[in-house]
Parts: sequence; structure tokens; C-alpha cells
Amino acid sequence: MAFPFPQGIAPSEIAFLAEMEMVTIVPRQRLEGLELLGGPVEPLAPPRRASLPLWLALLLKRQRRANIIPPTWLHPEPLSLILEVESQHQDYKHAFSPPPPLPGQPSMHEPGPEPTARPQYTPDGEKYFAAPPFLPHNTAQARTSSGEVPALPYHWIEVGNMLLDAASDDLMDPDQIRRLLKDLREVRMSKMRAGVDVLDAAATGGGGVALTGVGAMELGEERGFLTGVVDNLRKIGASKEQARREQLAEQRANGGYNGTQDEEEDYMEF
Amino acid sequence: MDIDDILASVDRGAGASTESTAIDHQLLTRFWVAERAVSEVLPWPAPLMERMMDRVRLQIETIEDLAASSADTDLSTKQHTHNPNLNLRLSILQTDLARTQYIIRSLLRQRLSKLTKHSMHYLVKLASRNKNPLSQTPSQSQSQSQPPPSQALSPEDSVPDISQVTDYAPLSAQECAFVHAHQTLLAGHYGGSFMGAFPPQLRRLDDNAGGTSMVQGPDMKEVVFVRCLKYEVPVVVEGVDGGEDLGVIMRMGDVWVVLWEGVRNAWMKGEVELL
Repeated sequence: MAFPFPQGIAPSEIAFLAEMEMVTIVPRQRLEGLELLGGPVEPLAPPRRASLPLWLALLLKRQRRANIIPPTWLHPEPLSLILEVESQHQDYKHAFSPPPPLPGQPSMHEPGPEPTARPQYTPDGEKYFAAPPFLPHNTAQARTSSGEVPALPYHWIEVGNMLLDAASDDLMDPDQIRRLLKDLREVRMSKMRAGVDVLDAAATGGGGVALTGVGAMELGEERGFLTGVVDNLRKIGASKEQARREQLAEQRANGGYNGTQDEEEDYMEF
Repeated sequence: MDIDDILASVDRGAGASTESTAIDHQLLTRFWVAERAVSEVLPWPAPLMERMMDRVRLQIETIEDLAASSADTDLSTKQHTHNPNLNLRLSILQTDLARTQYIIRSLLRQRLSKLTKHSMHYLVKLASRNKNPLSQTPSQSQSQSQPPPSQALSPEDSVPDISQVTDYAPLSAQECAFVHAHQTLLAGHYGGSFMGAFPPQLRRLDDNAGGTSMVQGPDMKEVVFVRCLKYEVPVVVEGVDGGEDLGVIMRMGDVWVVLWEGVRNAWMKGEVELL
């Protein structure tokens, strides 16, 4: 009653999150810096490029106050490269192509030193590791090295579609991009569906199924289905799991009672 | 500690520093997504929410000042002298404010809906954790054994008394008051509509006769989607002897489908992010 949406972030909310991604624009007019609740916005002074959240960039674009420079990955060549990896590459027959690295994480293709996460600190003094949509995965200068293989960012479907809708005149060959995005989506969707039979692993305690490289919207689409399947598998397997636990507990009890029963009762509350 | 540290701490307290604004916004967004993803009520981030509410209040004042100044210039001077960017700035500020308010509202409503769903569970949890000998804590074992036969029980009597509770975690004080009032009303309604016709010993709402507790809690074994943010984070499950068994190891940047109870502690430490 208090809240109409089902559990798990809804597609409209995913799009809302995607609008927080930073993109690069070329402003057409001056605007002094603003202190927003989402963080400060740098002053706009044409023709200097600026990084803004996507929602603000789209607002300026609709009023013809700025041009959006498409993200590094949203060009025909990188997209067709990624499509090739997704559909042809042996290693990624059953997995998604690798996502852009987090800060401190070396890219998949050049095995570097051990990744060490670079934390920022919250005002409460706790460690904070940034993650999409708050990483510059959609800015135009995100390219790190020339040999870098492009990667699809977490919010690729949403950012791609929003830019195609609102700023197709700023994109290179929008029709080609639209076609490539559609192909990518189909290839990845079939992988998502093909992976259903490994879901049993996620139903057992301590197990899990990796979906590395998945996009936010793809996750949102499959969330209800995946959680439903795993929950049902868990219920089917519950009696088996229970029997196994009891057997182990019995073995232990025979080995010698040392007061572990009280502990177990504490856990029963959950 | 030198003067810079003192200044920095003052800055933090006021919630004015620009860097912490951005990080707080990211924390709020992440917390909102997490709250939407699991069925239990997550610990209330009181300092963060206070800072955010302060900022929202300040931002509303800023917007009102700006709007007032634009009205002044309209009255006093002609159209061409008035700052052309003022309307744009106002609309940007208002959009930003509306976005933040949307997150806060959605977050609070989600928590309320979880609270009403599992109100008894959270009340029992709050009352039983506060080990105050004076306050009667109807823990599950007590209620099962013997109901006091002297007075006629009504369902309201089984609503735990939380007036002595000082530690509200995982709820905020307001949520705590809400959930108690909600459950008392609900118990009164049940009593009036059908439970009054039951024998007195069957009128408790936290009955657990036959080993089945009537208090339903959130599902800790549900599956969630997480992204690993540190080098290596293991999935931890409760072992047979009450200890901890390690499950699969998640690597940095990986997205996994796992059971919530296996990554709950890692989430508390901020090592994984719920998606």
C-alpha cells in the first residue's frame, strides 16, 4: 500500500539512475557554476568541454544550449568491435564481454599488477568505492590507452537510447549505431537465456552465478525471472539441504557435545 | 591536529563541503538501490540522511531566494536587463531538487511498506534486543509456555512494549513509533473483528505453538544481484556447527547472483554493492 513497485529496481528507476552518468558536452552559452544536491557543476564557457550528468546534458541539449559529444564507446567502430567479441570470440561464447574496469582495476586485456580498489572516504569516515553510474564511463575522453579494447558500460542500453532519441544529430551515423545496439542486445539476451540451467548453483548456500559484464537494463528485465527460478529451485532443494545439515550435525554431536547447540538455536531466529 | 583539520571537521558538520555533497549523493543513491533490492529493512543511515535533509532544506531556500530576486527584477526593470540565465538556473536547480526528493521519498516509502509487512517481526526484534529487566519482553519462548490465565487477553497485549527501547536499529526513531502505532491499531482491529471470539490463549499475535512462529520475518535467503567492489570478497554461509563457511570468491568488478545472507556482512562493510 505504501509502495506500489515490486522489490528490485524497476526499469523506469534504472533509466533514472542512468541519467546520473556523466557525459561530455560542448556548451553553446556561458553559465556560471551551480551547487547542486548531486554535487557541484563546473561553469560552462564555450567552446571548452565540460562533464555533466546526463539529465542536465539532455536538458541543455533540448533547449539547444549545448551539444553532446558521444561517449567513446558509442561510435560504429567500437560497437562493431564489441559485437565481434560478443558473437565470435571463443572466451565469450557463454559470457558477456568484460565491463569497463573500476578505478584501480587493470583492464582484462593487459594483465597488470594485482587490482587494488582505491577507496574514497565518506563524511562519516568510512571507505567508499565508487561504481557506475558515478564513474566516467560515458565521457568522451574516457579512452585510457590507444590499444584499449572498448567495453560496454553498465548503463549502455539506457545511455545509448537516450542519446539516440535526444541527440541523434550529435552522433556519428546514428542509424548504424542503432542497428549495432540492437544486434548487441539480441546476442546478449540469448546468452542470458542460455545461462538459465546453471542457476541451480545460486540456489545453494555459498554458491553463485556470475553475470559479470551485464547491463543494468538487462538485469532489470531478467530480475523477476531469475529470482523466481532460483527461489523455486531453493525450495525444491531445501529438504535435501536440510537432510545434509542434520546428518553433519549428528556426526558432530556423536563426536562430542561441546555446547554448540545453544549457538544454533540463536541462528534459528532468522 | 592543526587548524586545517578543525576547519575540515566544521565543514563536514555543516554538510557544506562540495566534495562530500557529491559523495553523499552517491551514497544515498546506492542505499536507495539496496533498499529496493532486498526484503529486509536495512540499517537506517542516520548521519547521511540528516546531512541530505539539511541540504534539501538549504537548496529550497536558495531556490526561493533566486525566484524572489527574479520577481524583483521583473517588477523594477525592463526585460532586457534581467539576467537571461536566471530562468535556466532556476529550472536546473529545481530539476536537481526534484530528483533528490524523489530518491528520498521512494526510499522512505519502500521502508514503510516493508515495515507494515513485517511489523510484528521488527517489534519483537526491538523489544527482545533491549535487555531491560523492567520492561516485559515477550520473547518467543515466553509466549509459548503459559499465557497468564487471570485476565482476558486481547491481541493488543501481545504487541511488544517498546517505550523503554533506546536503540532503534535498524529503524529510525520515527519509523519505530510508526510501526508500534501501526501494530497496535492492527491488533485492535483484529481483536474487534474476529480474534475476540477466540479462546483467550489463542489471541496472541506472536504465538508459536507447535514450533511454528506466527511472526513472519523478511526472507534472508532470497537471491540478490551484487557487484564486487574490492579485490576479492568471499560469499560467507553459516556452517553446520554455527561457524562460517566460505563459498565462491567474487573478484573486483564481477557481478554475481548470490543469496543475500551470504553477502550481507560484505554489504555492511561496503565491499559489495547491491544492484
